[in-house]
Amino acid sequence: MEVLFHDILIIGGGLAGLRAAIEAKKSGRDVAILSKVHPLRSHSVAAQGGINAALGNVPGPAKDTWENHAFDTIKGSDYLADQDAVQVMCREAMERVIDMEHWGTLFSRTEDGKIAQRPFGGAGFPRACYAADRTGHNLLHTLYEQVVGLQIPVYEEWYALSLIVGEGRCVGVLCLHFFEGRVILVQAKAVILATGGYGRIYLRSTNAVINTGSGSFLAYQAGVPLEDMEFVQFHPTSLYGTNILITEGARGEGGYLINAKGERFMERHAPHLMELGPRDIVARGTQTEIDQGRGFEEGYVHLDLRHLGREKIMDRLPGIRQIAMDFAGVDPVLEPIPIQPAQHYSMGGIPTNADGETELPGLFAAGECACVSVHGANRLGGNSLLETLVFGERAGRRAAEQAKEEKGISYKTVFQERLRAFQSGLEGIFEQKVEEPSSLIRDEMRALMTSRVGIFREESGMVAAKEKLQELKKRFLKTGLKQKSLAFNNEFVQHWELEGMLHLAEAIAEGALARKESRGSHFRVDYPKRDDEHWLHHTLAYKTAEGVRLGYKKVSITSYPPKERTY
Amino acid sequence: MKSNLLTLRIKRFNKDKDPPGWIESFHVEIRKGMNLLEALLRIQDEQDGTLAFRYSCRGAVCGSCAMRVNGKDVLACRTHVENLLGKPALIEPLPLFPVIRDLVIDMSTFFDHYRRIEPYFQGKPISSHAEYPMGEEKRKEIDPYINCILCGICFGTCPAFEKHSEFLGPAMLAKAYRFLVDPRDRRNEEILRAVDQQQGVWGCKTVFNCVKVCPKQVPPTHAIVKMRGKILRYRICHLFSQRWPSFHLHKNLNI
Repeated sequence: MEVLFHDILIIGGGLAGLRAAIEAKKSGRDVAILSKVHPLRSHSVAAQGGINAALGNVPGPAKDTWENHAFDTIKGSDYLADQDAVQVMCREAMERVIDMEHWGTLFSRTEDGKIAQRPFGGAGFPRACYAADRTGHNLLHTLYEQVVGLQIPVYEEWYALSLIVGEGRCVGVLCLHFFEGRVILVQAKAVILATGGYGRIYLRSTNAVINTGSGSFLAYQAGVPLEDMEFVQFHPTSLYGTNILITEGARGEGGYLINAKGERFMERHAPHLMELGPRDIVARGTQTEIDQGRGFEEGYVHLDLRHLGREKIMDRLPGIRQIAMDFAGVDPVLEPIPIQPAQHYSMGGIPTNADGETELPGLFAAGECACVSVHGANRLGGNSLLETLVFGERAGRRAAEQAKEEKGISYKTVFQERLRAFQSGLEGIFEQKVEEPSSLIRDEMRALMTSRVGIFREESGMVAAKEKLQELKKRFLKTGLKQKSLAFNNEFVQHWELEGMLHLAEAIAEGALARKESRGSHFRVDYPKRDDEHWLHHTLAYKTAEGVRLGYKKVSITSYPPKERTY
Repeated sequence: MKSNLLTLRIKRFNKDKDPPGWIESFHVEIRKGMNLLEALLRIQDEQDGTLAFRYSCRGAVCGSCAMRVNGKDVLACRTHVENLLGKPALIEPLPLFPVIRDLVIDMSTFFDHYRRIEPYFQGKPISSHAEYPMGEEKRKEIDPYINCILCGICFGTCPAFEKHSEFLGPAMLAKAYRFLVDPRDRRNEEILRAVDQQQGVWGCKTVFNCVKVCPKQVPPTHAIVKMRGKILRYRICHLFSQRWPSFHLHKNLNI
């Protein structure tokens, strides 16, 4: 039995994980990061448009404040966000952005040399700090550079296969060294999950291929519930064909959404904010145009940037110009970009408090895999990068405090049991005859989730989806592996990740079916109104042998009583 | 009419097999707009689960899927398969790095070189609540060098790295320059000292291969040439100040 020891093990090397690692390391703890890809390949690198902080750097009639930011976030969440958590995030935003500047992030500048800020959807001020349209790339490289400077070890291209729970706390992780096929146990006083989203449960997603939600499943399997999983964000503008993200910043800089009849159709859906309405509203507006035959035949509309002019496009949006040229053969300087909505972000996740603590002692979560909840039913653009830094820092700090108090007890028997259970499970998988490849099941699940549990939802479709997911879970049990060893076994990893995705899909579908109202990203054709009387609460999904069990918990409302949400 | 069947001849490697290396052909039915990464993922799903390659973002921003395609080093996700139809396309791992399995290379040398230049910002003192004042012009000067995604393609085509694996390499020299020209970073001489060696700026053959192949239009050779100039000016300055201490040539030499 190969066992490694660390005070704190962080799973995931994206922004939240790296930020947590830096904070914990600076507190003097022994920290390590484990990631299934090199940290610089994490999906955070693909974030484009910006990170919100009420710096108020753009001159205007009034100065932005963190309270304005908090209100916009809460209204944007359709009043499902926990207001105390939102206040923490918005209050600490400026400090976290300035940290990044002080570590060398190359933010774009205003005329007077300050960090530039651009307007984003659902925000009353230009609040999104940006580094051209490569904000995620700039932030991630900056944090990785700091991690290198602090000499924090990274277990690269390792998988975390399960959490080890002993005496009611998370005491470690069972890991796979993928290239060598070695199973290694890591004992840690605190484990921080920072594994990002699960976009690849959907057919159309802006997410990287690696975003399978495996970290959320680790917690779910260990008995931690998942919160608000039915709230899935669809981004209005993904590139038609590949669904690569085209930033909201393109509309922030003045881009228009145009249907096949040449109309700026957001007039119908958000007459005041137009293209800069919040994402749920713009995504539904866009999908409605396509569904009602006002899109182009293949199922897209146009994002037109031509009127911005070559110089502004080259200066502020060089990355998306490159993406449009590389992946759609379209130069946005000369032609409009074909776009369609696609899954983009998970508002739900592992429930945590504002210090990243989950209900399982010793286990923390931060970033997209967590649900604090600061996004409620709909996240505003520019708040996801912010969440990773604010709550990554807080989780790292709290985990370090806890690890300091925690004594190094030996959990040898627990580890041995966990390893034995893993090995016998593995034998079962290896012995299973291959009746069909797991990729078929995965593809059916993706198509199902996009068509039945997508932007528009209704009872009959979701009942069918629930049944279909049961069928897929049964068929999944009969997908074995051709390769019977662990080293470089892609089949094994896909098989293991698919199991998690099927469970997450089930939690999403069950939550969505139960919630008989429309709120934020969750739109029920059969219940098109928000219903605060019955549904102003968070959903909790628990994993049981019989399937998902749902529970609910109160929303924290401290300053802003729910109001009708108009834009 | 062109056939829709793509043929990929993939260079495989598995140290536990005999022989460890071989070329294997795969056929993939393509659809409009498909890229090479999608084709490889289809092969992995439908034909051979053991085929190994790296991937993540599929949007040319993460730097995972660099490989050699018909002799050219590219990102697989950014390579349209329509351009590979007609005759079998040869897919190989990125050259000059040890191969671990199939198209997966060992990048530890690459990241060792990365660490050698101390690639972490060391800022000048400033109030903890404020950004450094910096103009857009300065940002634009640094920006081309910051777009590097560390994919390794430039190393694969670099004659200096081919000759000496200790050569810091184009991506790392571009990274060093990025910190050198950043007015917020307090280092100046330290950075120049780190690159002022045969394994640094003086090893470059200035053939601009790296500039030509970079999928993100980073120009490492430009950085190298500029750093050589700065080093030479430093040396002159040093000489002059030793002979005539009252001369403050460094101001005029714009170092």
